[in-house]
Amino acid sequence: MKNKRKNRPWMYSFPALILIGIIVVFPILYTGYISLTNMNLYHWDNYHLIGLENFQRALLKVDSGFFKALLTTILWTFLNMVIQIAIAFFIALGLNVKGLKMARVYKTFLMFPWAMPAYVSILLWKVGMFNTEFGFLNKILTAMGLEKMNFLSENVPAFLSCMILNLWMALPFMIMMMDGALQSVDRSYYESAKLDGAGFWKQNWYITIPSIKPILLPSIIMTTFTTFKQFDIIYLLTMQKGSLSGSTLQTIITYAHQNAFVSNNYGLSSAVSIVIFLFIILFSLFTNREIKEAA
Amino acid sequence: MKKRIAMFLCATMAASLLAGCGNKTSNTNEKPQNDTAKAQEISIWHDGDESVMSVIQEQVNKELAEDQLTVKFEKKSGLTDQIKLYGNDEESGPDMYLYAHDSLGAFVEMGVLSPITDILEKDAYKDMLPMTLKAGEYQGKQYLLPLYFETLLFMYNKDLWTDEIPSTTEELYTYMEQNTDSAKGTYALVNQHSTAYNVSPVINGFGGYVINEEAKPGLTKKETKEAIEYNKKFAALEADGDYNTVTTLFNEGKAQAIIGGPWLIPGIKDANINLGIKSLSDFTLPNGNSLAPYSGIQAIGVLKHAAENKKDAIKKVLTVLSKPDVGVALAEKANCAPANQKAYDQEKVANNEMISAMKQTAETAQPMPNIPEMSVMWGPTESLLAAVNKSEEDLDTAAEKYQKEAETAIADMK
Repeated sequence: MKNKRKNRPWMYSFPALILIGIIVVFPILYTGYISLTNMNLYHWDNYHLIGLENFQRALLKVDSGFFKALLTTILWTFLNMVIQIAIAFFIALGLNVKGLKMARVYKTFLMFPWAMPAYVSILLWKVGMFNTEFGFLNKILTAMGLEKMNFLSENVPAFLSCMILNLWMALPFMIMMMDGALQSVDRSYYESAKLDGAGFWKQNWYITIPSIKPILLPSIIMTTFTTFKQFDIIYLLTMQKGSLSGSTLQTIITYAHQNAFVSNNYGLSSAVSIVIFLFIILFSLFTNREIKEAA
Repeated sequence: MKKRIAMFLCATMAASLLAGCGNKTSNTNEKPQNDTAKAQEISIWHDGDESVMSVIQEQVNKELAEDQLTVKFEKKSGLTDQIKLYGNDEESGPDMYLYAHDSLGAFVEMGVLSPITDILEKDAYKDMLPMTLKAGEYQGKQYLLPLYFETLLFMYNKDLWTDEIPSTTEELYTYMEQNTDSAKGTYALVNQHSTAYNVSPVINGFGGYVINEEAKPGLTKKETKEAIEYNKKFAALEADGDYNTVTTLFNEGKAQAIIGGPWLIPGIKDANINLGIKSLSDFTLPNGNSLAPYSGIQAIGVLKHAAENKKDAIKKVLTVLSKPDVGVALAEKANCAPANQKAYDQEKVANNEMISAMKQTAETAQPMPNIPEMSVMWGPTESLLAAVNKSEEDLDTAAEKYQKEAETAIADMK
């Protein structure tokens, strides 16, 4: 009887476990297997196990370029998250001002960048905003009598351009989360605080932020991960095949892509992927713990 | 009862997950017995323009009607990856493929291709342009039968270009200086100045190379660097160089000329541009050489399993494809430059301005390298061009950096 009870949860979750096994576990194990072989263009069908040779080569690839990409990724994640949280907080506060008319219309408009497919948004910004000939920013510059600027050809302006686009795309989610969290705060706290003479900043510092922090934590952790592993914005804006912008901006994921997936050497690529992703997992665990502690 | 329902649902879900994993061959006995009497179908995968493929399919099927043999073209996006996956799979893969020649080396090294000489006599394709045949040759063996080719052309708007078309690149540069106003967004000539394919006319013309036949990158070679330096001064007058930017500038009448291939023609026609075309081989560089662009040859390859098991049928298909009629049909109906020289004997083909310019360019054009190492050369070469043209990096330093990157990428392939 006891055994039956013990087994029942496993039986219920069995179909889901099979699915996870096929979709998640098998590819990881298979990548691990391939990383121990010499599978490449020249050994397509006749590949065999070669031990840890690929890992030896992969570790040599963890060079200064890798650490530079890691630093860029940390800076990218930190700046994006800080700015994102700050802006989203104030916009959400604005949306919750008592007596604000058509708040739902504003919220719907604010959702727009989030609802749009990322690929379309990125290419729209690339042409519509940053392009030297047709971009809105360059139209303004030329209207002011200034010279055209290629926003994506140097590392710093390219980093900032990518960051602005990331904020545009990611802010709606954070605003909606903040908005939801703000609505859960009991209004009577603010009335008491007002009676005690607390102003705007004090009310937010002592009431709003502590109240919404636990609700927001999962969204912040989720967004931190999404920002950390951001690939498409940087790749499509600056590194798209056939239209390289000139900047050499690399995050850890674009670095992994460049080093692991262009050589047609599947053994080495798998080893590089495993090494780099082990770094990412370690770093993610560390970040996750820090965020939890901060909360 | 609830427990039973839960267990039943659980079992159903588990079973449905594994549905489809059954053995496909279990029904083979039900196959009709009269297969041999049926018309045989040869499947050809491609990743090109479907209207071009339908011209070839129609022409070949017409010729093969009596042989109870048909070809069927199937479009597969990302054909290189598809061939990697299904190249050796007789059941799910194609019998032949039609694609640009530059992936030839990779397919041969993977062991999926059979030389066409195992099936077809050399005489059958003796009329092909030498440049197109060279493109289909790897390690001394002919693997591809060329059908048509593409290369870069000088295309200009007859309503905007005010002078005679120059015959030297220096005259062209002078004209560009006089007719470009980047602040206003009007240009004499636009080009994708930071892509290796579009800079190849200058690199090859200067005697440089991206990669040589021994798979050695040539980014630090003196001639390559001279070409990149020479291209830089043109790049400064050619807008950003992004594909969408340059084509839009030309189609909107903001650029008088563009360097591009036949793939631009439909867009140009839609924009009602009064188009003039000149061969790049008509432009002379300061060293006296003509511009020598890369060319991409669309050619047919035969998968090993098909060469072994369907030899006769494949031979018939290749024989028809090697005839000038296919080339004529391609030129007349799809505006493609045929690989078969005899097709140009037809007046309609010879009088086509674009096709005759391509034929002329074929005299100086060089097929893109077809060795597998070329696949990792595009990245470093274009990074070098972008660094020099867009980020103002020092040419020598950047060339060293990207030469090293290219060498590492090549070493990583093995």
